[in-house]
Amino acid sequence: MTPSIRQLAWLIARDVNRTVGGGNASMELLRRSFEAREWVDAQTHGLFVAVSRLTPGTNILAYCAAAGWRLQRWRGAAAAVAAASIPGALIVFGLAATLVRLDRYPAIQIALSLGMFVAGMLVLSSAFNLVKPYVRAGRWPFVATVAMLAGALYLVGWTPVRILLVSAVAGSLLPPKTSAPAVPAPKGTEVTRA
Amino acid sequence: MSVALVYLLLLKATVTSFAGMGSLPQIRQDFVDTYHLVSADALSEAVLVGRATPGPMGAYVVAVGYLAIGWPGAVAGWLALITPAFAALPLLATVQRWLHVPRVRALVDAVIVAGAALLIPSGILLAVDAVRQLLRLR
Repeated sequence: MTPSIRQLAWLIARDVNRTVGGGNASMELLRRSFEAREWVDAQTHGLFVAVSRLTPGTNILAYCAAAGWRLQRWRGAAAAVAAASIPGALIVFGLAATLVRLDRYPAIQIALSLGMFVAGMLVLSSAFNLVKPYVRAGRWPFVATVAMLAGALYLVGWTPVRILLVSAVAGSLLPPKTSAPAVPAPKGTEVTRA
Repeated sequence: MSVALVYLLLLKATVTSFAGMGSLPQIRQDFVDTYHLVSADALSEAVLVGRATPGPMGAYVVAVGYLAIGWPGAVAGWLALITPAFAALPLLATVQRWLHVPRVRALVDAVIVAGAALLIPSGILLAVDAVRQLLRLR
């Protein structure tokens, strides 16, 4: 199914701007919404996540640009990025202009903390959902190798981008039995030639 | 200080970072240390506003732009926030074109799995921070 620009913009504005604590939780909300509406499948979501991690700047905006472009090309990408960024930017502008410190009020501090906890759980759920298709396809040795490599590099203090680049190279060099796709290329990611 | 220069300074910070708050060191260097456009305290306020607001954490650059030169700076901040996102499009197009090659597929799969692994400490840290804050508020 292909959504209209308005449907896409509304969904992205809603899901991106209802979490605190970063874009990873928003990506998980978007995955759920996209899959429920059959706009994007799990593996295409994984592709968007990979691309967004390797794009400079704010990951969630790169994710939205990719999703918008996939669903409605340039207009979709522009609408998705605008929908994801304008509401939060307006709130930030309003707070900066009025010099209101939200975290001054205990009730708001509690609400923010609860929101952060929920965001943390969403992030963990996102990690699980990203690797689930590979584990289900019997590719757990690939998952274990790459995850252990990434974990080890994280523990020695490497930056995420360097970890992703090294993991990408390592993944492409793994023996074919471990690295070869156990599942066909996901729907929508097949080769397109002009 | 012109709007264009504020935009370029903020863009330099956003385009050389790979996460919402990753631009902070560059912004501190340019806006606080080099050009003295905002004070260190004002920058901290901007970061706090960004953290406490729903949506992308990187949106704090809107507050930095505003605190530097007023509302045109806020617009420049928003533009600097969204500009790098469009770099995802050629990257996505390139990846999709080569995805049928097993090695490229494995490369993308490795980025997905490594990205998922990196999410685990982020998720745990967020949840632990939240619990600590709640305990402090008791």
